[in-house]
Formats: sequence, C-alpha cells, structure tokens
Amino acid sequence: MTETAQVVKTAAPVRRREKKRRNVFDSLIGRSALQILAVVGFFLLWEAAVRWGWLSGFLVGQPSGVLRNLIGSIANGSLFADTGYTIFEAILGFAFGTVIGSVIGLALWYSVFVARLVEPFIAAINSVPKIALAPIIILWFGTGLLSKVALAISLTSIVALITAYQAAKDADKDLQALLFSMGASKQQIFKRVIAPSTLPAIIATFRINIGFALVGAVVGEFISSQHGLGHVIYVASSLYDLNTVWAGLFTLMLVGFLFYHLVEVIENWLLPWKQQQGGTQINV
Amino acid sequence: MSSPKVQLRLNGMRKSFPGKEAATQVLDGLTFDIHERDFVSIIGPSGCGKTTVFNIIAGLVDPDDGVMLYRGQEVESLRGRVGYMMQKDLLFPWRTVLDNVLLGLETKGVDPKRALDTAREYLSTFGLSGFENSYPKMLSGGMRQRVALIRTLVLDPDILLLDEPFSALDYQTRLYLEGILMEAVETFHKTVILVTHDIDEAVALSKRVVVLSQRPARVKAVHDIALNEHSPIAARSDPRFSGYFHTLCAELDIQTRKSA
Repeated sequence: MTETAQVVKTAAPVRRREKKRRNVFDSLIGRSALQILAVVGFFLLWEAAVRWGWLSGFLVGQPSGVLRNLIGSIANGSLFADTGYTIFEAILGFAFGTVIGSVIGLALWYSVFVARLVEPFIAAINSVPKIALAPIIILWFGTGLLSKVALAISLTSIVALITAYQAAKDADKDLQALLFSMGASKQQIFKRVIAPSTLPAIIATFRINIGFALVGAVVGEFISSQHGLGHVIYVASSLYDLNTVWAGLFTLMLVGFLFYHLVEVIENWLLPWKQQQGGTQINV
Repeated sequence: MSSPKVQLRLNGMRKSFPGKEAATQVLDGLTFDIHERDFVSIIGPSGCGKTTVFNIIAGLVDPDDGVMLYRGQEVESLRGRVGYMMQKDLLFPWRTVLDNVLLGLETKGVDPKRALDTAREYLSTFGLSGFENSYPKMLSGGMRQRVALIRTLVLDPDILLLDEPFSALDYQTRLYLEGILMEAVETFHKTVILVTHDIDEAVALSKRVVVLSQRPARVKAVHDIALNEHSPIAARSDPRFSGYFHTLCAELDIQTRKSA
C-alpha cells in the first residue's frame, strides 16, 4: 500500500507533447491586418523610393500620383465608363465562351466516334496561342465591341470545352451502370449522372475563364478601341504616363479579384453538396 | 413437395473478354435456375466471373452465347426489372437521401407526387425519417447502404441482384443490415440472388447456394440449405449451420488448392 502511494508521489508527471499552437495572427482579423500592412508597406516604400530619388518616377510611376489619377478619373466619371465597358466585354465573352465550350464538350460525350474524330483538332486549336488571332479577329469583327467579345470567346470556350469533355468522360462509370440497369435511356443518364457530375469541373473553369475573358477584352482594346481600361492603359503607356497605366492596372486587378469571389458565391449556391468539408489540413 | 417454379433460367452462358494477348474466357456454359421467391447465393473463388453473371442479367454486358429465360420467355436481359446493389453504395453525392431514393422512380417515369409518397413511406419504414434532406456524405456507412437498399426496393424489382452489398461494413452493421434485408425480402416477397465471398453469410441467408468453379466459371455444385431460421443471428446458431459451412468451405478449398 505505502509502496504504491510512494510511487504515485514520486513519479514525475508525464509531459504531454505540447499542442501545436496556432499563430497569434491566424484569425480573420489578424490575417487581414497582416495583409493590409503588407500592401500599405509596399506602397509607402514605393512612394518613399521615388521621393528620395532611388527610383525614377518617370519609369515606375508614383503611388500618390496613381491615387490622384484614380480620384480624378472617378470624379469625371471616365473610370466607371471605361471599367464598365471592359467588364461588359469580358462578361459577354465569358458567358458565351463558357456556354458554347461546355455544351460542345458535353455533347462530345454522346458519341465516342465523333469525340475520337475531333480530338486531334481540339488539341490543335488549343495549342494555338489565341492572342495571335487578335489581328484577324479585329479584321473580321471590326474595332467595336464584337471583336473583343469574340477574342474573349476564343480564349474561354476552348478551356470550357476541354474541361467539360474530360469531366464527362471521367464521370463515375458505376453510377452510370446502376442507372442503366434501372432501364435509364442515354438522355436520362446524361441528365442524372453526366451533367451533375461535370458541374463542379465546369464551375472550376469559371475562375480561370474570368481571367481569360479579361485578357481577351483588354488585348482587343490594346489593338484598337476607343473605350475600356485596355484602351486607357495602352494610350497612357504610349504617352509615358505611368501613373495612369497603374491606375488602369489596379482597377483591372480589383475587377478580377471581385469576379473571383463572385465565382465562390456561385459555387456555394450551385453545389450545396460540396460544402462543409472545410479547409482542414493534417496538422503536421 | 412439388417442384418449385422456375423464375429465371440461365442456360449455357458463355462470355470472354478481350485481353492483351489472348481473350479471357470468364463464363463457360454457365447454367442454373432461380426459383420463384428464391434466395440464392453465388459463391466462388475471386475473379471467377460472379459479377459478370450479374452484369449479364442486368443488361450491362452482352453474353457471347447462351439463353436467358424469364418465366419461360426468352429475354435479352432483365434491364429495368432488376434491383442491382453493389459493394459501393453508389449514392449520388449531389442528391439528398430522398432524391437518391427517388432516382429509380424518376427514371421509370412514375408520377412525381406518388413517387414522393412512396419514397417517404419506405424511408420511414426503414427508420430513416428525418434524414430526407441529408446528403450521403453526412451519413455513416451502414446508413448509406440502408439508403441504397431502400433505393433498390422502392422500384419493386422482379429480382434483387446483390453484389457483396455488405462486405465493406463492419460485422455488427452487417448483421443488422442482413436482418433488415431478410425482413424486407419476407415483406415484399422478393427473389434474391446474392454474390458473396462470405460463406457464413451465404449459409445464414440463403435457401440455396450455387458454387462456381475457378475461371472460366461453371456451376460446380448447388446446395439446398434447410435451416429453420433465416434471421441472421438465429440461423448462425442452428445446429446444421456448421455442417453446411464446412461443406462449402471444403468445396472452395479444393478450388484454391488446385489453382496454387
């Protein structure tokens, strides 16, 4: 008795391995603070470097000048007009490109023969840098809205097509077999297995294609246009007006950023069954 | 005892699959009968073509040769009339429990309102009320397989094809689901063909056991199982249980030794 008591008394308590502690900044507020700090620091450093003559304001621009420029173009309304124009082109190109590409990609599931037939052509088209088509597209569709939309479609549709086709090919064979054994027709299998199981992949391409649609719109504007952020950037850079170039670029960045998060909202709305797996990672 | 009526007859089924070098013959003139309201287990060595038999019956695979007779009528397959259940639950992840149960009824074109009523009724019979709007990934393995069983039964199929439906589950859940299956088969008067690796399960649940040979598969033996009890636990304590068990084990053992 006394012996055991003795053991309990003298035994050193077992030290548990210390739990991994989360970084103190690892919360929404903490992370946001760090992110804002990084951005503010970057611009302050840039501003200071130009003011103290370490960098040439003529070649890199100056944050205060960019800000003044932004405020000015917001005040006279030109920023909203140009941004709106570019967004309109990009959204049209994105929407048509995604729909056309996805529909063709899914349709290829219907016929293995046709799919095999056209596969090399799709690969060939995909390997053409679509931007190189821009001069021809402008020749065909003019210098207005249509050519920018067409350029954006040429960029986005092929991504949507390949993704949709691949996802349709990869759709769970067992689910198809099960439905087939229930007597389902090909249309029913398409509607109940192929379409819903390709949806996540198609939505994933939204993220990429939003970017591509903006590329199409801006490059189209570079080549020939009277409006849009691409036009603003192009004209300003040919005048060595770096502050205006930056103002246009930052606006484009903001637009892309907002769209990216819009896709997230759409994803959560369309794929409720994909939710709540959370961003858990093994704690190594 | 009058001879039982034959519901499904497979006669001389042959099937080979093209391989890299030579075609693999999987079924070599497979012939057996399924009686009305039968419960037949098919056991055999791994890879002997048990699943191929099911795929032929369900119309997923065309046989090279052989005849299938359903109640005396020659048929190509029983596609649309079987309830196929596999080891994987195959619940559609983007469909809720209720929508998964409705899957077959929708495919069959049953009136949506009637389908909904039927689906709800089955869900409540099998104790899954309250889970209608859950997605499959929120359920346990046993519950998912229960949903799969409901989805199969709700179609009121002529024959249930169960391809190792419980083999991915733990033993307790498995006994529980075997019990549910037996009750359902009794209640709905179903004919069942069960493919299993588990001799224990085959003896406990079946009226008859078909033993297949090594590939290319032929019927090696058919055993009638005459246990008084067919509830999974009671059957396992029947005095004749271990006799059947050992007979079947011996039959499969010889096969494995030959192949070694």
